[in-house]
Amino acid sequence: MSQGAMGEGALRLRREGDVAWVELRRPTINMRVVRALSDALDALEDDDSVRFVVIEGQPGCFCAGIDFADFRPDAPMDIHGFHKWEQLCARLERLSKATVAAIDGVCTGGGAQLALVCDVRVATRRSALQFDEIHKGFLPGMATFRLAKFIGLGRAKRLLLQGAPAGAEAALAMGLIDAIAEDDALDVGVREQLRAFGPAHPVATELGKRLLLESYAEPFEQAIGGFLAAQHRAISQSAFLETLAAARQK
Amino acid sequence: MSAAHPRLLSVGTANPPDRYTQAEVIDRFRVVNPGVRRVFLSPHVQTRHLYLPEPDAEGRPNEPQGALLRKHRKGALELGALAVERALAPLGLRPAEVGYLCCVSSTGFMLPGISAMLCKHLGFLPSTHRLDVVGMGCNAGLNGLNPVAQWAATHPGRPALMVCAEINSALYVYDDSMASGVVNSLFGDGCAAVVVAAGVEGPAGRPAGPAVLDFESHLMPEAWDAMRYEWEESHGKFSFYLDRDVPYVLGVNAHLPVGRLLGRHGLKRRDVQHWLIHSGGRKVIDAIKYTVGITEHDVRHTVGVLRDMGNLGSGSFLFSLERLLREGVAAPGDRCVMMTMGPGSTIETALLQF
Repeated sequence: MSQGAMGEGALRLRREGDVAWVELRRPTINMRVVRALSDALDALEDDDSVRFVVIEGQPGCFCAGIDFADFRPDAPMDIHGFHKWEQLCARLERLSKATVAAIDGVCTGGGAQLALVCDVRVATRRSALQFDEIHKGFLPGMATFRLAKFIGLGRAKRLLLQGAPAGAEAALAMGLIDAIAEDDALDVGVREQLRAFGPAHPVATELGKRLLLESYAEPFEQAIGGFLAAQHRAISQSAFLETLAAARQK
Repeated sequence: MSAAHPRLLSVGTANPPDRYTQAEVIDRFRVVNPGVRRVFLSPHVQTRHLYLPEPDAEGRPNEPQGALLRKHRKGALELGALAVERALAPLGLRPAEVGYLCCVSSTGFMLPGISAMLCKHLGFLPSTHRLDVVGMGCNAGLNGLNPVAQWAATHPGRPALMVCAEINSALYVYDDSMASGVVNSLFGDGCAAVVVAAGVEGPAGRPAGPAVLDFESHLMPEAWDAMRYEWEESHGKFSFYLDRDVPYVLGVNAHLPVGRLLGRHGLKRRDVQHWLIHSGGRKVIDAIKYTVGITEHDVRHTVGVLRDMGNLGSGSFLFSLERLLREGVAAPGDRCVMMTMGPGSTIETALLQF
């Protein structure tokens, strides 16, 4: 994986051991950001030495959502860009690495959608998550599909329809984020979460994430077949064999 | 992609006229063992086209081995003729224009083989090059496609034809055992033919099939007896044995040939838009899904063929190809991986491009 700027400066990638930090360099999301993130995922997927991915923004702004400058009101509307965005979110959601959204400040619209597809969300106390799309006359992407699974249908309706920001404390209480960091110590909070993942064995991580996501879509009779296939793959990997060897030595 | 790569120009399929639900089969043959009934009624196979005999006085399909062999021959001719006609018709081709004929089957032994029988009855020329791939099982469609594609590549402008003819109802042993129940509830009858040629126009007004780029095999000798024919003394018939660990053997190996096949072309899994996996059974499909890392959407045709017709042996993946072509979603440049699994035990793969 190469480090440095991507997508004409839209992103910056840096490595710290087995952690890859993906920094959003712009406050909003346009097609250049989508392409750069997609290229970054290609590189991350292919690099077995990366076990953790952190998505971070700038101080005071994780991401403010979609960039309306990309749209031309006088031309026919194009859904294709939204499709690309959803493909990107689904890929990040299924990545075979443990992922953390590191949120400071504004986390609105597409930014909040991006945070939802990470495995864990850490936000500073001053942060607020907000889905303001419906107030602006469009839809919050597949947050319509994902949000209720985090916080329940009632709260999801309130957040999406009323569009009010949820501060860090409220977001933590409802399960929208997983941890709060002090305003000047987001880094500390993120590293705590990374440590908590332990080794993040790639195969077990990928399969566990996949089965959890599928659990909302499949009946038990289908899910059990998938589980057995996945479990057999997991227990055939070196990670589990090492666990067995260690247990035997005790 | 060079013009010399042969394309799968047209697929034709055929099944016996009678189609049965799983409940109809167990009622017809008075299956009472609750375990066997449960296997039949699992949702993954719902209907199958079969050549079923009338039940005898005990309600059993009492067919001696000789009758089963005749059923195999008669079915292979009847369905083979239909599949060949349906594959050639969209291209305006006649059997006499086919230069190479490969027939694939594992559901009965014949000498002379199916290719000679089809030549006699369907008007292929006496000069037609022939090959019969016999007894290689569910994976054999790709074992056959390999030489067919090689021949087509070295004879541009001349069509080759592969016919996968599996009359699985000619394999049935009826007793109360779970082992027989698993086989009898899974396999269906069907025949698929595919026209393979380089430098020949595809069918007018239909999406052109993909070009064949490469093949990769993976034999697992440690599981050589996981799928096999056995002579059943008590029945005086062959019976097919399917080890319960087959899905898991495939599960730990399936990524290996795929990795080699894609790696050789500098491709990643994400560069493949279409996956045509053999409809081996639901557990087999799950094992491939979670090992290769593909989705339920990727196996929609595999699952659909299994649900509607059961495991059709070597031609199953061509029934899935037929559905993919009919769907019309494959765009020029899209890549496709075919994967078939069977006795040996083996995994066969092919890389194709639309």
